[in-house]
Parts: sequence; C-alpha cells; structure tokens
Amino acid sequence: MKAVVVESNILTPLGPGIDACWDGLLANRTSISRMSRFNTKAFFSDCGGTISGLKYHGEISLVMQMISMLFDGSGTKIPGDAKLLLATTKGEIDLLEQSIITGTGDVAESSLNNLLRKVIDLTGTKGGGMVVSAACTSSSAAAARAAAMIRSGHADCVLVVACDSVTEFVFSGFSSLMALDKIPARPFDKNRSGLSVGEAAAYMLVMSEERAVREQRTIIGVIAGWGMSNDANHMTGPSRESEGLVRAINAALVSAGITAHQVGFISAHGTGTPYNDAMEMRAFRTAFKDRKVPVYSIKGGIGHTMGAAGLVEMAIAQRAQRENIVPPTVNLKEADDDAIEWVADRHQAIGPNSIALVTNAGFSGVNTALVLV
Amino acid sequence: MTISVRGIGWLTKAGYGSVRLGLHHQYAQGEGIHSLAKLGIFSQPFKNFGRLDGMSRMTVSAVALALQDAGMEYSPASKQDIGIIGTSCEGSLKSDVDYFRDFIENGRTLSRANLFIYTLPSSALGEAAIHFGLIGPLLYATGVDDSLAELLDMATEIVVAREAGRMLVGKIVEEEALYFVIDGKQDECALCSLIEAWTIVESTQDISDILRQFSILKVKKGMA
Repeated sequence: MKAVVVESNILTPLGPGIDACWDGLLANRTSISRMSRFNTKAFFSDCGGTISGLKYHGEISLVMQMISMLFDGSGTKIPGDAKLLLATTKGEIDLLEQSIITGTGDVAESSLNNLLRKVIDLTGTKGGGMVVSAACTSSSAAAARAAAMIRSGHADCVLVVACDSVTEFVFSGFSSLMALDKIPARPFDKNRSGLSVGEAAAYMLVMSEERAVREQRTIIGVIAGWGMSNDANHMTGPSRESEGLVRAINAALVSAGITAHQVGFISAHGTGTPYNDAMEMRAFRTAFKDRKVPVYSIKGGIGHTMGAAGLVEMAIAQRAQRENIVPPTVNLKEADDDAIEWVADRHQAIGPNSIALVTNAGFSGVNTALVLV
Repeated sequence: MTISVRGIGWLTKAGYGSVRLGLHHQYAQGEGIHSLAKLGIFSQPFKNFGRLDGMSRMTVSAVALALQDAGMEYSPASKQDIGIIGTSCEGSLKSDVDYFRDFIENGRTLSRANLFIYTLPSSALGEAAIHFGLIGPLLYATGVDDSLAELLDMATEIVVAREAGRMLVGKIVEEEALYFVIDGKQDECALCSLIEAWTIVESTQDISDILRQFSILKVKKGMA
C-alpha cells in the first residue's frame, strides 16, 4: 500500500505557509536575527529564528499558539478517523520555565501527554494518538512511522503534526554545548561554526493511495521509502565515519525500491555545525559514489527547528519537486571543500519528476532518511 | 512472520530480575538503582554509569536484563542490528526540572551541558544504544495512556519490514522498568508469542501485575 501525502502546511520564521518559506528561501533571505524574546547576554549567540506575533510566557504555550495558527484558516478538514502522530523534542517546555521562574503552577503541565491531548482536541482526531520523539529526527521519524503504518495496512489515514519553539531552556542548552554560531548559521560553508536555533510547526496528512483516490484527494507526493538508524557512538556528536547515516540512506533506498543513481536531489539536515555537515557530506559521497547530486539545507533561512525540522524540510522538498528547482543554501558564501559542486548559493535546476532524499540526524546518534517521489 | 518475545528484564523499587530465566534479586540494605552497575547486571564495564540521569540508569539496567534473559551477548566492539522504542509517563520531566532549576540558580548565565543532554525523552534510549551497540531505529513514543501495547505494535512493524532484526520495547513508570526483546524467529527458546505478550500488557498498565501474569503464563506453558 502506497503512503501518499494529501495535505501539508508549515509555519516558519519566514512566515505562515509553504509559499512564504519557499519564496524566502528562493530569495536567499534569512529570518535569523537578534532575538528579543529573552535575555541572550550570557549566551554564545543572540541569533535565532522566531515566528512573529507569538506571546512568550503567556497563558498559552508557544507551540500551541503555533499549532493553532497552522490550522486556523487553512481550510483543511482532518478526517475524524485519522491517527495522530505528534513529533516534538521539548513541546510546551515554556510552561515548565514559567512554573520554575515564578514558583507557581505545576511543572508536569509541560508533559508531552498533555500536549498530545491538546492537539487531539484541536485537530478533532479520534483515531488514537501518539507522541514520537527522536531528538532532531522526531518529525521525519514520525513521517516514516506514518508511512509504515499505511504500508502495513495498520492505518489508512495518519496526521503527522510537528512543533518546537525557541525558549530560554533550549537556547541556553545549545549555548552550553557551544553549538551556536555567533551569526546566522551557514550550512556547508567553509567558515561555518554552529547552528542557529529556530522554531516551526508543520503538519502532513498521509493516506493510503487507495483512500486518497477514493476521496478524490490531490496527491502531493509519495513517501516511497524510509530508513532509521543509530550511530551507537556518542550522545551529542555524530559518528566520524558517517556509517549510521549511510545505513539509513541505504535502507530508505531499498525501502523505496530504487538505487542511489535515481535520486535527483538531497534536502540535507545541514545544521551548520562543523561536525554535522562534514558527517553528512561524507555519507553522501559514500552513498552516491561521488556522483554529485544537488544538495541544500534550509537552516540558514529559518534556523534549526529541531523536532519540526524533518516535516518542514519534506514540505519544501515536495515543493522543489513541483517547481523543478531546489532552493539555494541560504548564507552560503564559500562552500566547504567536501561540498563544492554539491551545494550552491543560488537555486539549482533539477529534472522533472526528480526523486528527493531528505536526511536528518540528531542527539543520541539518531539518523533518518526519507525517499519522496 | 511470527513475532516472538525472547526475553524480559525488569526493575522495581525492591529489586530486579528477568522473566524467562526466572532471575529475581531482592536489594540488600544500601543497594538500589544507584548500585546496579556493581551488582553484575552488565557483562561489560559501564564506566559512565554514575554520570547518567535516573531515567537512563533504569533504562540501561532493564535493557541489560532483557538481553541477558534473551540469551544475547554484547560487546562494545560489535554493534548489533537491534532497535529500541521506549516510553515513560514522565518523559524527561525530572531532568528538565534539574537542568532548568540549576540554570536559574546560577543566575540564568551558566547552564550545564551534562544536565542538558538528558532533557530529551529519547536520551535514555541513546545511552542504551551506545553501551549495547544498538544500531537500529531509536525512538521515544507515548500515547495518552502510556500503553505498552501500542509500542509493541510499532516495534512489530519494524521487525516485519526488516528495518531491524530485533527490537527492544519498554516502559518506565516512576521507579519501575520493564523491557522486552522481540524478533521474528519462532523456536523453543522464545518466551511467548507476541499475541500472548500483547494480551497481557493490554490488560494492565501496572508493571508488577504484568510480571505476575507472565509468571502464570510460564506455569501454563510448563516453563516455570
């Protein structure tokens, strides 16, 4: 049973909707700027990608504000029988911050189960729900599990929702790991020196092809294959050999029934940290045997949106398939040696019906690869 | 493909053990989760055990007991085609509080990376993957009611689709932990079928009750 995407939407620091993000990326525009949400004086950087109009430490958490904006006015009708997979790393962590800072409230309000209940209520899904969390691969892992449920016949309609927000909690943590670039992140650049934290919400409605056809849905694309792996190597750093991501890529190709030669472009995780980007390029060179495939990262444009990154990147990759171009890697000035002729500072043309490979990696050594047709 | 449960490891406030081998160790005075690394659970030295957060200590200990129960050896040198899915009612809440409280107490200037790394719900699974060399899919998943049955379904899909040869599936509730090893082989070494395990975990959320039901199942099968 084929798993097809019939609806998707994203909310990113470049604005609401896929169009806003796509247009911003194509214009080589970054939304990463000096932040005013909290005091950044003590941190390694003051740059982040935040969504305008959100109220920090108000009555409603940042991610619930984002998810409400995502579904408000989208005109989307989510089938009541859809199963919900909610992908996030820190969910409503700002509620915990408030509770600890003010000494009031209950820190358990920030639990992922609570957030799941709220998103079930908001989306009206009655097919059961589950939180999926796998560090910065959370939403690509959730999309993989959604496709697996459909392929196995265990479900025929799965709503994947992803969210994560920029909070003092996560910002201070990345700062303590010295993972932040002082200026907006520069994925695959020779002088890159870290990531920029970003925030986003996204959803994707995945159906069996049979149901999508029966309901006369517009099919945006197919989640044709997926691979998930672990480096089993280090909690915060990727493997220097890249064997984990290579394994995920190869598994995704086998799952999709295609060869590496058929992949038309790669939406990379491309965080901008020296280690991640080098690990990814090594993996691509191994998997594609130096056949240079157009590679890009959108994180110079919107920052690293953590648990939401995979779903946002899938939506942009599907847009690239429709437009027959891939966006530039925003903030790229001089490609690192191993990325020359793979990444570009301007958009690159791709052939019609190009197959996309979307890769993500994260803490605990997790890797995902998705093949989109 | 028939899915089998090959071993189950468990921890409670009072002790630890495993189901197939019938291991049951009651803590002596002064023993507890903090001392598990010294009690012979791990067949390979666990040098960072003392630095792990509580969730990670419980996870890696329950996983060690489950692998031992399944008759599976490991070594850091040889990685294994095994994935892991875990759940807990709290996620990383305790580590979240520890990290952020420490940050606030330090005047919102200094934060500790060694506390931050445990603020992901999947961090404990990552520690298990590193120590046991698990290279298959890794994810934390939780439903509204922390059902282990849903996790078994997800792990089964992964094994059936050959995304991993074996899966570890488990949950942690406060100071109790339970981990299963499942795979697609059917032989006399299996503890029970997936259906039998699924029926038990679907009937109750209580770990002690789950263990009691597995003891009854073993008697019924003549394995006790």
